[in-house]
Amino acid sequence: MTAPAGPVPLARPTARARLRPAPRPRELALLGIVAVALLAGSASLGATERALAGQPAVLAPVHPFQLGIYLAALLAAHLAQVVAGRRTDQVLLPAVGLLGGIGLLLMERLPQDLVGASIAGRSLGLSDVHLVWLLVAIGAATAVAVAARSDAWLRRYKYTWAAFGIALLLATFVLGREVDGALLTISVGPLSGQPSELLKVILVIFLAGYLSEFRPILATESTRLGPIRVPPVPYLLPMLAMWAVAFLIVVFQRDLGAAFLFFAVFLALLYIATGRAAYVVLGVALGILGALLAYRLFGHVRARVDIWLDPFADPLGAGYQVVQSLYAFARGGVFGTGLGAGLPLVDGRLPVPAIHTDFPLAALGEELGLAGVLAILGCYLVIVERGLRIAASAADDFRALLAAGLALVVGVQAFIIAGGNLRIIPLTGITLPFISYGGSSLLANGIVVGLLLALSDRGVGPPPAPRTPGGLRFRLGSRRGSAAPVGPATPARPATPAASAR
Amino acid sequence: MNATDGLRPVSGNVLRVGRVLTVAFAVLAVGAGYWQVIRAPEFDRAPDNPAVIAAGRSVARGIIRDRDGTVLVTNARDVNGDPYRKYADRSLSTVLGYVSRQYGTAGLERAYSAELTGAVSTDPLGGLFGGSGASTVRPDDLSLALSLPLQRAAVKALGASRGAVVMLDPATGEILALASTPTFDASAIANPATAAGAWGQVSTDPATPLLDRATLGQYVPGSVFKIVTSIAALATGAIGPATSYPQQPGAERDGLLVSGYRVRDGHHPFTGSGTAAPLRFDEAIEVSCNIYFALTGLAVGGERLAESAASLGFGAPLPFDLPTAGSQVTNGGGSFGGGFSDDVELANAAYGQAQTLVTPLQMALVAGAVANGGVLMKPHLVTGISGPDGTRTVAPEAWRRVISNEGAQTIAAAMERAVEGRWGRLFTPGAAVPGIPTAGKSGTAELEGTLQPHSWFIGFAPVDHPRVAIAVLVEGSGSGGQRASPIAGSLLRLFFATVGR
Repeated sequence: MTAPAGPVPLARPTARARLRPAPRPRELALLGIVAVALLAGSASLGATERALAGQPAVLAPVHPFQLGIYLAALLAAHLAQVVAGRRTDQVLLPAVGLLGGIGLLLMERLPQDLVGASIAGRSLGLSDVHLVWLLVAIGAATAVAVAARSDAWLRRYKYTWAAFGIALLLATFVLGREVDGALLTISVGPLSGQPSELLKVILVIFLAGYLSEFRPILATESTRLGPIRVPPVPYLLPMLAMWAVAFLIVVFQRDLGAAFLFFAVFLALLYIATGRAAYVVLGVALGILGALLAYRLFGHVRARVDIWLDPFADPLGAGYQVVQSLYAFARGGVFGTGLGAGLPLVDGRLPVPAIHTDFPLAALGEELGLAGVLAILGCYLVIVERGLRIAASAADDFRALLAAGLALVVGVQAFIIAGGNLRIIPLTGITLPFISYGGSSLLANGIVVGLLLALSDRGVGPPPAPRTPGGLRFRLGSRRGSAAPVGPATPARPATPAASAR
Repeated sequence: MNATDGLRPVSGNVLRVGRVLTVAFAVLAVGAGYWQVIRAPEFDRAPDNPAVIAAGRSVARGIIRDRDGTVLVTNARDVNGDPYRKYADRSLSTVLGYVSRQYGTAGLERAYSAELTGAVSTDPLGGLFGGSGASTVRPDDLSLALSLPLQRAAVKALGASRGAVVMLDPATGEILALASTPTFDASAIANPATAAGAWGQVSTDPATPLLDRATLGQYVPGSVFKIVTSIAALATGAIGPATSYPQQPGAERDGLLVSGYRVRDGHHPFTGSGTAAPLRFDEAIEVSCNIYFALTGLAVGGERLAESAASLGFGAPLPFDLPTAGSQVTNGGGSFGGGFSDDVELANAAYGQAQTLVTPLQMALVAGAVANGGVLMKPHLVTGISGPDGTRTVAPEAWRRVISNEGAQTIAAAMERAVEGRWGRLFTPGAAVPGIPTAGKSGTAELEGTLQPHSWFIGFAPVDHPRVAIAVLVEGSGSGGQRASPIAGSLLRLFFATVGR
């Protein structure tokens, strides 16, 4: 690799001499367990499918080639990190790998014609396409984890990132294609994707930058409003702006899930940055206000809520998906029907439409039972716990907020769709991270994992000094092993704009 | 390292956010447990559960028998060897319903789909590892309380009219007959070869044969509702057996002034209106005096009348093997007690007009509760479910006591006068069973405009030890005495000649 010419050091140059391989025994052992679990699942699925086809029920993987490629990719990701010699978290990759593998088994088991693609004359089915995206996601995660040795490219250009995010959002309006009544998908030529998945990563980067910079003011300043002290009014504007953005997404894109995700993660980060419950109370109040407003104004919001309140009012019409999801959970019971043995076809159709994107948990709840659901929820909690642990031990506020935000994006998104499947909250169309079919989702979550891994590196250099107003803006990064950060603008105890303002 | 001037590190806040998310995931886990363990038994037998539907496609369903063991439905095979249903008699169409690959399921076939297809007892892994993939599903058979001869007779008695008959054993709640006319040919819908034509004709028939009038038809009750008012009045002590109203005879002639509105009654010449002594409770039942029950309704009050009706099952669908519609004393929402809009509505509702709407099954339960000494039994059609693991018997279940035994006896005696008494015989001709003391109450439900009234009868026999209660409704066929009473009498006579001999 060569050093970038411009001021955007996307991947820091890594000298060949720096490659000091470091073994990762914990990750390897956990990946071993994941491999055994997935092989067992695949063998069980294979036996069931053979039995259903009237063949002898041999316990052997159903698609050994696909699973083999997937496990090899996980191993490659592991080896890449060993070679790179970074001392990063060793639990994240196996936890994500297990969820991804469960997703792959599910896609292998569903009717392959749910998704059709053709590459170079070869027609690909659901699990083929899913595997390709899994590999892309693992590749992205590994690339970011190995190569991102500085966070300067994230923290310095937060407004650029924000502008990029807004541009993505606007692009959806212009280039967007309506799918199932929601304007979520951008199509450019043969490629299509859901920008809201990438947007959530960009949002967290922006918020981490913004909140870490203005943390002193947001956390301590108050405005007197009669007898009560409220947080500083000018700095509430971002909160209102965020609320407005979430609301606009609901209005124009009809993407309730993304709006809920953005708003919840925003509130959580605001709390982490300031520790002030008043923000949360205010934010929740605004959220409830927005929800009531949306319920009154928009038919699609009202429909979702009404279905949630009583799906059995119209079990064959509006409430069909939710009712069928609950039936699927119920059929699973405690230990499930076994992979491949659930989801009875009626007239050749799956009982739950959009099962591979919006209802994978219902399918897994049926075939793996309550035990499987709890294991999957446990995996998400492990990912969140690792992310928050990385946040708590981060070297500075930006890294802490970034890590916490990334972990929360995964955890809250999993909660939103799982809660929708389980009728705990209204159903919104959002993917189940690492499991659902969907390229944008897998890629975005792969980048999240990569960033979390990079942030967990205890060996990486100290964070750059906070920005000096009008100071030199170039070359503020540092790298591991450097005796001192490069660049002139590194005062020992610099003043932030906020601090000097006080 | 942080240039945050004494601000506390964020790690404590991170921990608290982590705790909140952990709690949220615990809620998810509890939710999963709720659906997958607690609600699973109920969902696994839901008729629209794809597992139940899928099982029903390939499996020859279980047999259904009546109380004498007569087979009510059998299986035939189509050209592909797939099973379909053949029903023994048209009179059963709304009770058993149908199974159609194209048009779904209805009736008991739908309600007990899980048992009849064996989907409930299916082990999902059973057979999958057995090598053959063959189904090990064993469907259950159903035994009904229904009597096919009574059911046939009820449908025949209703003839070309639209109507319903419910007969039940007041002591057990067992349904002996549940007729609804017109009937339809369920076998033609079940047979794939004739399904399309049969369905097209039945589903567009203006007479709505698919509607089970006995359980889902909501009708103005007219005077049969006076038994509900009687139960409310005697149970709450608002009146006693000797209660009479001095203003009643005069009101027979001039109408009863309630809040400036005049409640009028049909003329009762034989009670010597105007000059005769005021009627007692049993006399008021015998001659079906509207003024007496308007006054009684006002004495009870809207709230207590609504409560008493609710104890009889009004206000919500009845617990039953088949879907049921709820019955009502008022549309509700009124500011007056019990949801009535004012005392004029209450006075009119007390004798079964105004906004009262009832199902024939509900009125059979009212008669049954009086017959059973004031204890309402839960109605049920299915008495036994037998499968490979043995037979599960559905035991009679008391629902609740709606009135004291003494109060029930008072009403029973009055209802006996309404059938056997000097004046009563004029209202309910043909209801009496020779040699068996019979209790009953006719009803003539007046409808808006020039429509013919619905003809009603509810009753039971024998009075001292009731073995059968009955409700008969004939749509738009005139007074209770004209159609419903003779039908009830003929069916009660048949009951004592056959089933209850």
